Amino acid sequence: MRRRMWLIGSLAAIVVAGLTAPALAQRPVKIGVLTPLSPPGDAAAGQFIVRGAKMGADDVNARGGILGGRKIELVIEDDSGTPEKGAAGYRKLVSQDRVAAVLGQFHSSVAVAVQDLAEQLKVPIFMTQASARSLTERHLNYTFRTHVIDTDRVQLWNRWIKQQGYKRVAMLAENTDYGIGLVEDSKKLFKTMDVQAELKSIVFDRAVVDLTPQLLEIKSWRPDLVVNIGVGTPSYLILRQAYDVGLFPATPMLVSYDMPARPEFWKNMGEKGTYTAFMVYYHPTMKLTPRGEAFRTKYREQFKEDPVYAALNGYAQVALIADALNAAKSDASDDLVKSLLANKFEGWNGTISFSRGEGPYWQQWTPPMLVLQYTKPEMPFTEAKILFPTEFKTGDLLLAPKR
Amino acid sequence: MDWHLLTQYVLAGLVIGVIYSLMALGITFIYSIMKMINWAMGEFYMIGSYVQYALLATVLGPERWYLALPLAMGSVFLLGMLTQRFLLRPMYVGGVERRDEYATIITIALMVLFRNLAIVLGGPNQYAPRDYARPTTIGTLPISGNRFVALIGTLVLLALFYLLIKKTWLGRAFRGAAQNRVGIQTAGVDVLRLDMLAFGVGVALAAAAGALLAPDFLVYPENGAISTFKGFEIIVIGGLGSILGSLVGGVLLGVIEALGSVFLSPGYKDLYGFVVLIALLVVRPTGLFGERERTV
Repeated sequence: MRRRMWLIGSLAAIVVAGLTAPALAQRPVKIGVLTPLSPPGDAAAGQFIVRGAKMGADDVNARGGILGGRKIELVIEDDSGTPEKGAAGYRKLVSQDRVAAVLGQFHSSVAVAVQDLAEQLKVPIFMTQASARSLTERHLNYTFRTHVIDTDRVQLWNRWIKQQGYKRVAMLAENTDYGIGLVEDSKKLFKTMDVQAELKSIVFDRAVVDLTPQLLEIKSWRPDLVVNIGVGTPSYLILRQAYDVGLFPATPMLVSYDMPARPEFWKNMGEKGTYTAFMVYYHPTMKLTPRGEAFRTKYREQFKEDPVYAALNGYAQVALIADALNAAKSDASDDLVKSLLANKFEGWNGTISFSRGEGPYWQQWTPPMLVLQYTKPEMPFTEAKILFPTEFKTGDLLLAPKR
Repeated sequence: MDWHLLTQYVLAGLVIGVIYSLMALGITFIYSIMKMINWAMGEFYMIGSYVQYALLATVLGPERWYLALPLAMGSVFLLGMLTQRFLLRPMYVGGVERRDEYATIITIALMVLFRNLAIVLGGPNQYAPRDYARPTTIGTLPISGNRFVALIGTLVLLALFYLLIKKTWLGRAFRGAAQNRVGIQTAGVDVLRLDMLAFGVGVALAAAAGALLAPDFLVYPENGAISTFKGFEIIVIGGLGSILGSLVGGVLLGVIEALGSVFLSPGYKDLYGFVVLIALLVVRPTGLFGERERTV
């Protein structure tokens, strides 16, 4: 009887082991997407990042997954563009969901709070579109960025300002790490880059919705260019209210990031959006890597529109993490960090590699930047004129006729 | 000092102050009649802006914008009456001991519910109704046609509200309820029905502000937050329960914020109103036009 019980027990153990072994092998690798999906964050950007990340996960899973067949599972968390929600979301992703890495950071103010936690909890955080210089300048071990640094952004527009020969430049910036950082960088780099223009900067509270007095003040100063440093709703408010007080488009306005590239821009702006100049990191005429090209084709098929940068970068970051985990042969965070530093990876428009360089060039990879302009109402993003850098130029800045 | 520019700042503050006063009027009206604070006022503002946008974008088109405002107000008026009937009425029919706490919990719950419903139904993105009026000028101030319409619309609504309160039987009943809820019941007025109308009218005023400002301040789930907190500031400055106080408080707040943001710092624009508010509370705790509550 006793021997029989042993036999049954052993058989049961073998069966259970046989059943659970494949199950363990199939345990998914979780990747967190912590991004703004509700106001006051730039929710449209967050949605594009999630869209791209999902396509990235589907792509990796369709090719058989990673680490010997394990699928990637995304865990999506909304940071609402606020540091406190960002920190809570990151903590939840790491402690409850046990993710291997977190991507999707868009607002620099949130990213600053989250990257401190990343150092404590030792799970890498990826900046998808957070560009404050300090993020990588702090030389933290678990922070990686595949997006531009504000200093580079300022350098580009300074070069453009010099080329245009502007004498008076006004900046209207929100009071976030992003806005204040860009104003400070501009003040510094105006001197070092010998930009022969006077600079007037106004920093406003991001929660304020009526910017009429500030725009009237700028208008009376008679600038040659206004730089719009709002993110999401504030950026739209600046554009629309500048139009209403007669500042824009009589005076050219440069939007500091790629918000006008998104499909909802014309819905929100109507004809008021004509003559908007803006910075982008991707243009549909760009030659992409085979990975980027495959993504672009699939995106166009699926959504019947051209991808925007946020989606491209969300996609590429999932692919990057998957490749790095494969190269590490482990889903442990420290192995992932080592792998990211030791290897080269295929991005959406080139090879991504991370080094620990000087200043903000620490675990940093920078995409290209362009200045574009819409020259007619409802102009598709694909047709926007490239104004700068000169080597990619497809048109000159078009000034609006007087109203 | 550039006087031309100074007049522009003052006018800009005046215009926005008058529009904000609509929100304050809604809050103070509900408080006067029902003796409760509606913390979800901003969400009724938000719903008004969404209804306005939806109507202009689908059924009406920008050319029939003048129909969108009454429809937005009407729909929020009905929603307000339903809210009062099913959620707030228990406060007054003997079932609730702590009325203030009940009203706070219910209206904060409504705030969360409406805000999340807006995200579920309309997504988290911002929308802007198409412009329905051409840019114009008021004195020295260049202004969008939409904001000019909002200013005129607000003044018309304030005048209509004044007429309703001062010249109609219903207005007399409202004033009676504001003075003594028990007293008007002895005169045969159904105070619960009056509450329903008062709550509907109050939230419809917030919806009007939302609808009128939708093209300028955009439509998104949290767009009522700023107006709500301006509304509360205004009623404390102007005096709780005073119609004139709402208008004067609104104008004062608008001008102070406009001048403070230009001559001091735009980074603390929301602070200037609070500084004035605190100073005023020290010298006149009832606000500019408020009166001490009479207790028997």
